[in-house]
Amino acid sequence: MDIHFTPEQLAFRDEVREFLKQELPADIAAKVKLGKHMAKEDHERWQKILSAKGWYAPGWPVEHGGTDWGPVEKHIFDEESAAYGAPRLVPFGVNMVAPVIIKFGSEEQKRHYLPRILSGEDWWCQGYSEPGAGSDLASLKTRAVRDGDHYIVNGQKTWTTLGQHANWIFCLVRTDPEAQQQRGISFLLIDMATPGITVRPIYTLDGDHEVNEVFFDDVKVPVENLVGEENKGWTCAKYLLTHERTGLAGIGASKAAMRHLKRVATKQQKNGKPLIEDTLFRTQIAEVEMELMAAEMSTLRIVAAASEGGVPGAESSILKVQGTEIRQAITNLLRKALGPYALPFLPEELDYEYDGDVLLEDYSPALASSYFNMRKLSIFGGSNEIQKNIVSKMILEL
Amino acid sequence: MKILVAVKRVVDYNVKVRVKADNSGVDLANVKMSMNPFCEIAVEEAVRLKEKGVATEIIAVSVGPTAAQEQLRTALALGADRAILVESTEDLSSLSIAKLLKAVVDKEQPQLVILGKQAIDSDNNQTGQMLAALSGYGQGTFASAVVVEGDRVKVTREIDGGAQTVDLKLPAIVTTDLRLNEPRYASLPNIMKAKKKPMETLKPEELGVSTASTLKTVKVEAPAARSAGIMVKSVDELVDKLKNEAKVI
Amino acid sequence: MDFKLTEEQQMLQETAERLVRDAYTFTKREHASKSEAGFSTEFWKQLGELGLTAIPFPEELGGFGGSGIENMLIMQELGKGICLEPFMESVILAGGLITQLGSEAQKEELLAGIASGELQAAVALDELHSHYDLSHVTTTATQQGSDWVLNGRKGVVIGGHTAGKILVSARNAGDTCDQQGISLFIVDPNSAGVTRRTYATVDGRKGCELFLDNAKGELLGTAGGAYDAISYQAGRAIAALCAEAVGAMRVLCDITLDYLKTRKQFGVVIGKFQVLQHRMVDMVSALERATSMAILAACLADDEDSAERSAKLSAAKFMVNRAARYVAEESIQLHGGIAMTWEYSGAHYAKRLVMISHQLGDDDHHLEAYAAQLSA
Repeated sequence: MDIHFTPEQLAFRDEVREFLKQELPADIAAKVKLGKHMAKEDHERWQKILSAKGWYAPGWPVEHGGTDWGPVEKHIFDEESAAYGAPRLVPFGVNMVAPVIIKFGSEEQKRHYLPRILSGEDWWCQGYSEPGAGSDLASLKTRAVRDGDHYIVNGQKTWTTLGQHANWIFCLVRTDPEAQQQRGISFLLIDMATPGITVRPIYTLDGDHEVNEVFFDDVKVPVENLVGEENKGWTCAKYLLTHERTGLAGIGASKAAMRHLKRVATKQQKNGKPLIEDTLFRTQIAEVEMELMAAEMSTLRIVAAASEGGVPGAESSILKVQGTEIRQAITNLLRKALGPYALPFLPEELDYEYDGDVLLEDYSPALASSYFNMRKLSIFGGSNEIQKNIVSKMILEL
Repeated sequence: MKILVAVKRVVDYNVKVRVKADNSGVDLANVKMSMNPFCEIAVEEAVRLKEKGVATEIIAVSVGPTAAQEQLRTALALGADRAILVESTEDLSSLSIAKLLKAVVDKEQPQLVILGKQAIDSDNNQTGQMLAALSGYGQGTFASAVVVEGDRVKVTREIDGGAQTVDLKLPAIVTTDLRLNEPRYASLPNIMKAKKKPMETLKPEELGVSTASTLKTVKVEAPAARSAGIMVKSVDELVDKLKNEAKVI
Repeated sequence: MDFKLTEEQQMLQETAERLVRDAYTFTKREHASKSEAGFSTEFWKQLGELGLTAIPFPEELGGFGGSGIENMLIMQELGKGICLEPFMESVILAGGLITQLGSEAQKEELLAGIASGELQAAVALDELHSHYDLSHVTTTATQQGSDWVLNGRKGVVIGGHTAGKILVSARNAGDTCDQQGISLFIVDPNSAGVTRRTYATVDGRKGCELFLDNAKGELLGTAGGAYDAISYQAGRAIAALCAEAVGAMRVLCDITLDYLKTRKQFGVVIGKFQVLQHRMVDMVSALERATSMAILAACLADDEDSAERSAKLSAAKFMVNRAARYVAEESIQLHGGIAMTWEYSGAHYAKRLVMISHQLGDDDHHLEAYAAQLSA
């Protein structure tokens, strides 16, 4: 038993660090670290750099443009990327629809869609949740009716993250209304330019435009856009959810956030001393940091088991709950660190190009907003309560 | 006298087994594996015979994946002198195992072969008997006592309603029952010594044995859940329930 | 990076696991707890015979040359049985202090005995007002000729009532909380000037107060320079306690889960209620965190002394203390009345789990220690 990386793994880490040092654009890293607004172009720029290196889709099989990294290498890459301030990859194309196409799609679909994801030509978004189907996803109502060589889609999707940038959406739609909940669902790929699709922004409580509603009004979708078999879409959805959950603990991001918290707590003052020297405040930092240490060790245990061929199962649910609670606790302390200066709402200062007077510090305008924004962590990807149901059923067999 | 002891790698008896979702077998991923408890008894008996001066060498043999070396190493720590792994990743039937053991018996020429009466994974209770048939040796199954005298071995067998003692000519096959002995714990010094004892690995092909199976597992299912027990207040009530509810008397 | 055990480690674990399972039934534990020694002298002998008490010692002493990992494996199994024997105190803590500080003669005299189990040693570090601070030492040591004479009171010496030797921290220079000026002495508890008041502990073990009135002590290491070794070895003992807690928590989680699957109310097993399911998941999740931290502690325990090692060991003890108390309290609540009875084994696991935090630092102590190094 050894918690240290092997020399090969350390060499790989150095390679990743070197790459990030050389290639990660400074303005993008600054935006990430200070919580400034990211433009579509920022994401695309970073994706292109990763693509050129062959590191944009590490999880894919090599023949489709992936890497031969094992779980440990992927972990190191995620962790270092977060540490250097690389933006979190928009997962919908590369890490969500692509694995489903690779697993369930036709050769034709693989040939068509995968290269377009790698090149950045397509920006995907996810059409899962509906106004009446959140945690109970299988109760979704968006209908797709077969009409010759097309499906006619009607309905509404919601919480569509960055749908405003997307030209494609993958959707769960109901193709058999008579079948039991999970049975009559299909997995469809839909071109956002198809007539009948309307995207409407949802402004979140922090004032940001990140999510959208997508309306489908007699949208014609060719049948060849069906992935897998008709009415078997739930299999794809389940596969994708396990894929999604493993990365949701966000340990690398939390470690970066923890470093940010310490920087902020060194700059902010109380009683004429840096906040980090205040017993009460630093005790709260200490508590979260120790929780984070435990979550990191648990992640490493899962990663090591995975590299031995184990499949991360319900234990990743435990980690999702733990990891998201830790991240929320860090954003809570970041907000508290500002004292009364958490109050000013300064969206203009979140613009990286802003050149006016800064009210307090470059980091301050994002903190309260981010605290509210991060409440989403325990809701999306299967709410933390749903995760507990999964553990209860799968591990504890209750 | 040489003794050959067969040991099998099985799911630890403390683990609650789970059937795989596709009903193809039992889920072995990340499950603790141990030596089959009846095989431990077999090893213990061999070690005791050696301690009494009856046996001179104990060879532990296992058929299974590379990881079965762990169980062989345990046998070495318990007192076996050397070990042989017949390496196979397939899920072999009792007959294939018996054929492989027969080949090892031919190679090693032991006077006594001790096996567990059955393995707790598939509960087949066949290998010892099959090995006896293949090798033409006498068999003393379900042993609760084993006494070697000269070129014969007396095996007391647990049978319905009592005990039966058979007197076999060596070489012979013995399979162990639960009450034969209480296996010892591997002590730290012996664990250290086991590291240095020889372990040989063979392939079925090297032994000239074909392991093609004639059996196919159709489906594996978990047993139906038992309903909870109840407390009865008196013997009368118990008798009544056995008669009228359970209808077993 | 690798979390697998070697073949030897697996066999060691299996031996310990089986031994505890066979020897430590609930009734046997009750019996041992109420005996004069307060633990099973027979089981202690078995630990010695099987070489388990030799685990951390070098091979030339008949040991296993074991590291924190091997200590973790055995402590976990002892935790599963809530074993009463002073294994950590004698083998890991006293054994570690003698290995680190002792002269060749002292090592030769004492370590073979500790490794074989024939000598059970104890360590007296706490005092009336020390509250886990190992540098808070008021017991005095005065040199008289070639002898050292000790005066003062040491508290809650687990296993001290039966120990053949007790290692005592005493001050020969400096103020009450100075790290400099603390020495360690080997005291024969049966010698003149030593009196003990033996008592049972809440978790079923036994310990004593140690009164030193011009008692003789044999210096271990250099005079006044024992603090670093004490703090280092306390770190190893902390890792061991973390592992013990994980073993006990695992069993208590299993017991509780079983109960949820058996106990019926309102016509269904209570494990069908979502409110209880989520609480059970939270218990298991606390256990997972604690397991991770116990592994971290075990991997660091025998590393060279450093600020990082100390901080991470504090983090481990903090997280494990918290998880242990959480699992203990929740298991009682999820059981209901039955867990309030002496005859229910789960109750005894809960008591040990809470009491572990009172050895070598509770969560407040380690939270403060961890926080202090953040701004350093």
